[in-house]
Amino acid sequence: MKVAPDGTSVVTEGITWSISPYDEYAIELALEHKDTAADTVVSVISVGGPRTKDALRQALAMGCDDATLVTGDGADALGPLGIANALKSAVDDLKPDLVLCGKQASDDDQGFVGPALAEALGWPHVAVVTKFAPSASGTEIWKEVEGGHEVWKASGPAVLTVQKSAKDPRYPSLPGIMKAKKKEIPERPVAGVDDPVRIEIVKLEPPPGRGGGKIFKDGDTKAHAAELAKLLRDEAKVL
Amino acid sequence: MKIWVIAEKKDGELRRVSRELAAKAATLGDLEILEVTGERVSGAAAASALAERAKVGAPDLILAGATPSGRDVAARLAAKLKRAYLSECTDVAIEGGNIAATRAMYAGKVRARVRAALPAVASVRPNAFPLADGAAEPQITALPAAQTPGLTFVRFEPTASGGGRVPLSEARVIVSGGRGLKGPEAWTAVEALADVLGAALGASRAVTDAGWRPNEEQVGQTGKTVTPDLYIALGISGAIQHLAGMTSSKVIVAVNKDPDADIFKVADYGVVGDVFEFLPAFTEAVKQMKAGA
Repeated sequence: MKVAPDGTSVVTEGITWSISPYDEYAIELALEHKDTAADTVVSVISVGGPRTKDALRQALAMGCDDATLVTGDGADALGPLGIANALKSAVDDLKPDLVLCGKQASDDDQGFVGPALAEALGWPHVAVVTKFAPSASGTEIWKEVEGGHEVWKASGPAVLTVQKSAKDPRYPSLPGIMKAKKKEIPERPVAGVDDPVRIEIVKLEPPPGRGGGKIFKDGDTKAHAAELAKLLRDEAKVL
Repeated sequence: MKIWVIAEKKDGELRRVSRELAAKAATLGDLEILEVTGERVSGAAAASALAERAKVGAPDLILAGATPSGRDVAARLAAKLKRAYLSECTDVAIEGGNIAATRAMYAGKVRARVRAALPAVASVRPNAFPLADGAAEPQITALPAAQTPGLTFVRFEPTASGGGRVPLSEARVIVSGGRGLKGPEAWTAVEALADVLGAALGASRAVTDAGWRPNEEQVGQTGKTVTPDLYIALGISGAIQHLAGMTSSKVIVAVNKDPDADIFKVADYGVVGDVFEFLPAFTEAVKQMKAGA
């Protein structure tokens, strides 16, 4: 990851665009549910420019049933609430029982869109989810918290922001890839979406450098351990 | 300038991150600390209670700790109020009518300075601001939360291990283990060190994926980002995804038998050697030091 000369963006040359890891976990959780309940329809939605279609095709190849792209001029420049509102328009039409999304993107790491989508829909949301299971009276949802999991129950539709699935996201199968190539990806216009909030990047820089530390290489590990304890107390002052 | 801090409590005590934020916020403007009260309040319910209050109180800036629950509430609240939200900030300032913040992007590989118009909402990482010893216990306004329609709490399932320790996200000292520890049985010794240091336990992804330790202990990209004063990496090679989650630690100690391990590139102190020889010796040395102090 390199900061571009303008100081406000990153160098995108030579970068392979991919689905963000948390979004992949969300797809995996949905597909695992489909594995056990075959009548499940998994639809995948994204907001962005033409390049976003590759990500949707990847999701189809993993096993999602259909894909929708919300796109048009300015789709790549939408702020987080704009993205949530654009997603809402597609969710309104698809009428799913649950919406799963990654707990945060892998570029801005904000974690804003999921809860904002729930707010736009007027639905409850549960964040940092690792598992869900339908029950007689709704959906049980496992939320990772300090020291364990809280189990919540949604009686109706809800937005889940996914932390991590128990299994690694599946790879697309060869037949999956072939099938995904042939699928139509309908587009919805992004025009007219309310986008009330801007966050301006003033400057990007590499994180502060580290290194040049005191490394004990040879000799008696036990003696180094004792020496290190002293250094941490007297020099680094952290003990 | 009106600043709100959303307080979090643990075992009846105001959490350290909330006190850090209160101390910082008091330097930025008029501070009010609010705690949403109730049993197992969902993020949406807490956000609703705060949003109602914000209509009257009109805060310019709302700060929450970047803990799992703080982030949850802050994001929903910002969406409710249609305000800018900046998550996991490591510094926050007010410049004219804007919030100017520093935050990590690209899983910690880039540091960003960002700006948004006030009013705004931000979550701030633990350990971002100093806390003076003996600072007065701040006044807290309680805000009872209503239930979230369509969402009810069912039960709590505790993780089998790691109970009773400091939460990883705001621990001052973290002892973290990697594949070099060879198996879950090594954690008896790791926990012995953590006990002496009053530390939280962390792990590399290899360790949690192998099921040696619970997922919630994973540090790094797809795990937790931590900012302790002292991070001790035992048998961790230092994959970039792991480094992304811990390079903001103040002091990093690495122990690994491979002198070329990437973890040494970010370490302030390192020992190239057998971690199984190091662990008991280091634990004993710290124990004696603490007893003598």
